[in-house]
Amino acid sequence: MLKLIGVEAFYGKIKALHGVSLEVPHGKLVCILGANGAGKTTILKTVSGILEPETGTIHFDQQRIDGMDPEDIVGLGVGHVPENRHIFPELTVYENLIMGGFLINDKAILEERLESAYHRFPVLQDRSRQLAGTLSGGEQQMLAISRALMLQPKLLLLDEPSLGLSPLLVQEIFDTIEELHRSGVTILLVEQNINQALRIADYGYVLTSGKIFLSGTYEELRREEKVREMYLGEGKYVRRARLWGM
Amino acid sequence: MTETFGGLTQEVVSGIALGCIYALIALGFTLIYKATEVVNFAQGELMMVGAYVNFFFVSALLEVPLLNGVWAFIIALVGAVAFAVLFGAFLDLIINRPLKDEPVFSVIMATISLAIILRAVMAVIAGPMTRIPPSPFGSSVITFGGVAISTLDMFIILSAVVLVMVFYFFFNRTKWGIAMKATSEDPMAAHLVGIPVKKVYRNVWIFSMVVATIGGVLLAPRTLLDTHMGFLGLKAFPAAVLGGFGSIPGAIVGGVIMGVIETVSMGTLSFHFPWVKEINDIIVWIVLIAVLMIRPAGILGHEEVDRV
Repeated sequence: MLKLIGVEAFYGKIKALHGVSLEVPHGKLVCILGANGAGKTTILKTVSGILEPETGTIHFDQQRIDGMDPEDIVGLGVGHVPENRHIFPELTVYENLIMGGFLINDKAILEERLESAYHRFPVLQDRSRQLAGTLSGGEQQMLAISRALMLQPKLLLLDEPSLGLSPLLVQEIFDTIEELHRSGVTILLVEQNINQALRIADYGYVLTSGKIFLSGTYEELRREEKVREMYLGEGKYVRRARLWGM
Repeated sequence: MTETFGGLTQEVVSGIALGCIYALIALGFTLIYKATEVVNFAQGELMMVGAYVNFFFVSALLEVPLLNGVWAFIIALVGAVAFAVLFGAFLDLIINRPLKDEPVFSVIMATISLAIILRAVMAVIAGPMTRIPPSPFGSSVITFGGVAISTLDMFIILSAVVLVMVFYFFFNRTKWGIAMKATSEDPMAAHLVGIPVKKVYRNVWIFSMVVATIGGVLLAPRTLLDTHMGFLGLKAFPAAVLGGFGSIPGAIVGGVIMGVIETVSMGTLSFHFPWVKEINDIIVWIVLIAVLMIRPAGILGHEEVDRV
């Protein structure tokens, strides 16, 4: 459904992606792992058109989308929940959701989507007249996800949805992601919470310094010693023997 | 005693009318700043251009024998607004798009250059004479219990109130209005939800040019029409700062306060110091500094808090 081939992207003069190729098959939940600054967010930005790749191609549903305007990519069915949520703080919760449905012209459909957003997270209905900036972190994340779901995207890009949330809320967010996945939405997930992410993911890519370093299923990645050391917190970070020069 | 009171009331009403015009210019200014972060130093010149275009239309239409006066003014206003729509879109194309995300100094220089160019071009087109624009109300006054208020001032206040109501409705009830607010808050998020951000920016410039034109059309019969009337736009800048820069209600409040202070202080001080030409401005700037000392963000502004 989504296919990146040899994508290179820059922030000004700094190269952030060094030829990334990855694939998200229809209906799958694919996860991108990697340390801070590895380029995970950049990959999502190039997919949604915020950042234009310098070289390489991006195809979505057999259509080439690199170089298209973000609003056209959204229109094709790519929803993006950005890092740090990026809700509109000075708009009400209701207005935020309406903006999520900006491209919907049919009022009845808009109402229906609004209903299902309120049904998914009832707290949003309770706070619908409140300014979104006054919500708690978890509520803001629910709003950000609901806003992206207003257009019922075929592919959902999720950038660190659990960032800064309490364990209980993290669980709720992951339950939602799993539920969306089961209902048939294709998901590309960027997550620091690797244990949680790999548990629900069908496939994972490990990114280091803007390159794909490893890829595989949860079981395959678990077997990789480096992944365990770096991300799963299981291995030893430094072998003591090495410290003594042995 | 009642005479002083009557005089003061007249000055206050006249000041509110002038303030409404400042408010309209400050509103256009604030809109552009909020949405695109461009500080448009040509806002006063946009008003001047709008006033002249309307004047050209009125002069031409009053020549048409079958048209009576009122219709000429209405058609001229429609014509001027139509021009403003096209001109606003043109400005978006030549100023906003090429300079988006460029250093703030380039943008400021571009708008200052635009101001100078507009003044010069209009001087070429309109000639050296200061024009006296005809007013649909002539110099008629309405009298309320001994207080005479010019019909034009009443009309200015009424139009400004209607316009502000229309804006309020637009920004809070319509999809495109909310999208403008959303874009000014977070352009990236606006892109991601599918708001056509470029179109929003274009609409902001059109909006701002239309507001400036209406301000100019209302102002011209009060002052005279010359190519330097745009300097009055420089007063919209402190009006916007006074009310709280970047706040739409602040622009309106700041504009009205400035207008009232200016007119009232002109009425009292210029009587005592007739040889000081800028006497009416003194109090305005003193009040501005005083307000900023107490509330640096302006009356209705709130301090920027960087979110992490």
